Amino acid sequence: MGLQLTNIQKRFTKRDVLTGVDLFVKQGEIHALVGTSGSGKSTLLRIIAGLESPDTGTVTWDERSLLGVPAHERKITMLSQTPLLFPHLTVGENVVLATPDRSREQAEKWLTRVRLAGRYDDEVHTLSGGEGQRASFARALAADPRLILLDEPFTNLDPDLKYELQQLTRDIVSELDLTTLLVTHDREEAMLVADRVTLLENGTIHTTGTPRELSETEPTFGDFIRLEGELYPLTRIGVFSEGAGERVELVRHLVKFGVRLGEYRRPNGEYVILPSDVSQQIGQSYPLRKK
Amino acid sequence: MRRLVILVLILLPFSGLFTSVPTFFFDDAIINTVIQVLVIVSLNVWLSIGTAWWLLFTETKWRTFIEWFLFLPLFIPALAGTFGMYIALARFGLVGTTIGVLIVLLVVTLPYSIRLAYNAMSVIGRPMFEQALFMPPLRRYRDVLFPLLSGTIQTIALMSTVIVLGQFVLIQLIGAGLISTVTTRLYQVYAGNDVALALQHTWLLILIPAVLYIAIGWGIRLGVKIVKGRL
Repeated sequence: MGLQLTNIQKRFTKRDVLTGVDLFVKQGEIHALVGTSGSGKSTLLRIIAGLESPDTGTVTWDERSLLGVPAHERKITMLSQTPLLFPHLTVGENVVLATPDRSREQAEKWLTRVRLAGRYDDEVHTLSGGEGQRASFARALAADPRLILLDEPFTNLDPDLKYELQQLTRDIVSELDLTTLLVTHDREEAMLVADRVTLLENGTIHTTGTPRELSETEPTFGDFIRLEGELYPLTRIGVFSEGAGERVELVRHLVKFGVRLGEYRRPNGEYVILPSDVSQQIGQSYPLRKK
Repeated sequence: MRRLVILVLILLPFSGLFTSVPTFFFDDAIINTVIQVLVIVSLNVWLSIGTAWWLLFTETKWRTFIEWFLFLPLFIPALAGTFGMYIALARFGLVGTTIGVLIVLLVVTLPYSIRLAYNAMSVIGRPMFEQALFMPPLRRYRDVLFPLLSGTIQTIALMSTVIVLGQFVLIQLIGAGLISTVTTRLYQVYAGNDVALALQHTWLLILIPAVLYIAIGWGIRLGVKIVKGRL
């Protein structure tokens, strides 16, 4: 059960963008598709959404082909880098428009869920970047999709907001058991949000696995630490109790810290201090404390 | 001072209109003109938005050629195109008919309309319209495309109206002198000595696009209000 892509190929005028892509997204999972710019990840997303057609290959949902099915009949919604709210409508009207039965109550429910309660009648231009993205997320959810496609929706946000939205997205789609495909170039973001991650390189699938698997097998896959037995990307370094005492095990070389920095500001404003006076090595553990 | 000079230059052509009080009339020329304008405006809006949508969403290596071909009439003198149309329409027996006149008016207005619609859609951006693709067609057109492009629709309507009302040679040639409009009548009146009659027709020529523009604008605003009221 879920989304299955088989042997997807797509060529634009002078180059092959996708060459034989096979991908399976299980129903209810959050799957991240990670790749650099030009790797073909957005094109793949557009093919799934029905905004592009593949040259060859099949796209199926529960073994039923989606090829030839128009975008509005696929029960798929898509969130882009920018909110793309319709400027002639208010925030709430944008959401109502997507609801199957044009229900204001439903729209207000979704706005509340994305922490935009009371903003129904606001003009779209009064929203900040993060609020706009949340409203856009509410609109995508209001359509009652079976699959939601996230095309680098956190890219243009500042770090704090980015983290907050990542958490919100993760919480809501998990709660709804909504199948989600996130496209990003940010490996850390993929590790934070996704249940499984696929690496796309030059139009072909390089590897697929859980964040833990990839952190152990992929040399390029980010900076991670092991904290109390759990593996976290660096942005999830947490201080779980007052005072010192926690120890972190360096799983990968801490590129962001290197040996130059000893402290890291968490998205929630807390500081994590790692010893900067010693050479940090993979496999060793160091005390972690609050500033 | 400079502004005053510009104002005088703009108003100068209209000053003669107020030399006597016009009397209005209603005849087949006015009916023909209004019908032509309404048909051409409707076809322009429909075809230009459809074509602009297609141009925006179609990826083909022939794209540049297609764009060039579509906008070709913009670069060819209207009279040259008219003679070409005359020969083509004569073969189909459409010279001297209302349909023939409508076709030729559509040919001269449509490239401008497509250009306007395409530019407007390009400014709004393909990603915005792609969001609309996730909605059923009726909602897409009624709730998104129509309100988003309402300003463009009104401009296309005005431009088509003004072009249609500005055509004399074309209507005379393709209409073979059988299709009477306010414009064709106006030229005949100007050739005579009846200033009052000329004034009547000139006022008509000014009022028809003005009234239609206001009416279409009002209709569009009402439509948008109704659409928003449903949400």
